Amino acid sequence: MKRFLLGCLMAAQYFAVTYSVYSFAGSDNTISANPILSNSNSTPNPWLILQKASQAARELSYEGIFMYQSGSSGRSVQITHMNYGQGEYARIVVLDGTPREVLSQGKDVVIFSPRNEKVVIEKRRGQNLFPALLPSNMDLIKASYNIKLGAIERVGGRDGQVVNLEPRDQYRYGCKLWADREYGLLIKVQTINEQHEPIEQIAFNQLTLLNSQNMDWFQPNIDHDKKYVMEDNQDKNVAPEDNTWSVSKLPDGYRKIDQVTRMVPGKPYPVTQLIFSDGLASVSLFIEPLVKGVEPKIGHTVMGATNFYANTNNGHQIVVVGEVPEATVTQIASAVTFKK
Amino acid sequence: MKDQISALIDGEMPIESADHLFIALKAKNEISESWAAYHLIGDVMRGNAVFKPGFNERFMQKLELEPSVLSPRNFVSPRKSLAKTSSAWSIAASVAAVMFVGWVVLQQQVHNHVDAAPAQIAQNQITPNVASEYVLAHQSMAPSSTAYYIQPASYSESGN
Repeated sequence: MKRFLLGCLMAAQYFAVTYSVYSFAGSDNTISANPILSNSNSTPNPWLILQKASQAARELSYEGIFMYQSGSSGRSVQITHMNYGQGEYARIVVLDGTPREVLSQGKDVVIFSPRNEKVVIEKRRGQNLFPALLPSNMDLIKASYNIKLGAIERVGGRDGQVVNLEPRDQYRYGCKLWADREYGLLIKVQTINEQHEPIEQIAFNQLTLLNSQNMDWFQPNIDHDKKYVMEDNQDKNVAPEDNTWSVSKLPDGYRKIDQVTRMVPGKPYPVTQLIFSDGLASVSLFIEPLVKGVEPKIGHTVMGATNFYANTNNGHQIVVVGEVPEATVTQIASAVTFKK
Repeated sequence: MKDQISALIDGEMPIESADHLFIALKAKNEISESWAAYHLIGDVMRGNAVFKPGFNERFMQKLELEPSVLSPRNFVSPRKSLAKTSSAWSIAASVAAVMFVGWVVLQQQVHNHVDAAPAQIAQNQITPNVASEYVLAHQSMAPSSTAYYIQPASYSESGN
């Protein structure tokens, strides 16, 4: 028994030593990449913590597994991200359910999604995705949210500094963020509703910095039994813009950041999509002419943090979707006005 | 076999020692599908413009413009071509394979059009299924998203 206990102790000591050596190497890396962290004695500016989190997610090389939960659904996701000064490379694999896979190089994103007997290859432009969730420019967020420094909480074996983003009005959810005290990376993010309850969460279960420049991981896992096809891209059928409507009054803090018109499979008329963002939350507005024989959609539904509102106006189907409160989707839907 | 096909495409296998692969490519449908798939994946990863949207339209337009040659050429029998040097044989096989890729892509795009028309749900209740199309379109365009690569469960289960 004594021998067993000794063995346990030895093992514990061994782990402690290797861990401290490892974390020393890790911190060395972090400090050289991000000098902001070094003066941790004074009260840190929470905006600087977020700025650093945004930077760290793009500049560091790391791998880990995080868990996304919204409503009743949840998925584990594996991420590998590398940046050794030659740009960003990342591979994201959804571990639960459909084995969706994403490879990105800089702003180019390629997605492999299995659908029945096929694997559909999609090309997309880059987005701000966890842990690189925050934009590099925080000005829009500063205008719509108040910031508060929270406690230090442990997440996935790492110490995280809590930062709370509290909405200035009812048109957006709050956000609680955990930034790794050593690496600066976001290790956990929660979307907080009006009742201060978390409604969506994404958090690392494990996270390590990479020390190798080996790129062998940067390739898709190919399923020999499936056909690979390119996504049917409908953007080519962009119709002349429908100018009979405009969006008059957006909720405070939201700006239009994009607009596309495209053909959607199964629909005879093009659908126009407008995207609005306050820097953190985003909302899409879809407008399409009503089709005879197809019942218009009217109503409201919630899926996790996503609110969905549908309405008709002047012979058009209007749909608003976003990770925002109900007040925001209804206000944006009613902001659509038609020229008489 | 598929590993060898992949190695050949990546230039990790000398073309001279790949005769058996070309024969397999011609004979086995499964192997030639892998050949097409690996090329497509490679093109996408490298950002080649070959299979950019509208490939079939542009291909058909080009084909329309081509003059029709009515005189038939002498068909070289497979037995003869095997007797030729291995490099000429492999070039011919590559050309055939490239045409095959084009054909496969065309075929699959045609299939896509058929598959893509979903059954219209004629009701004004907002079911998660109806909503998920919009949610997906939203997530793929949103500048920041926690959920983007994790599709709504209803979507993956609908199997569309």
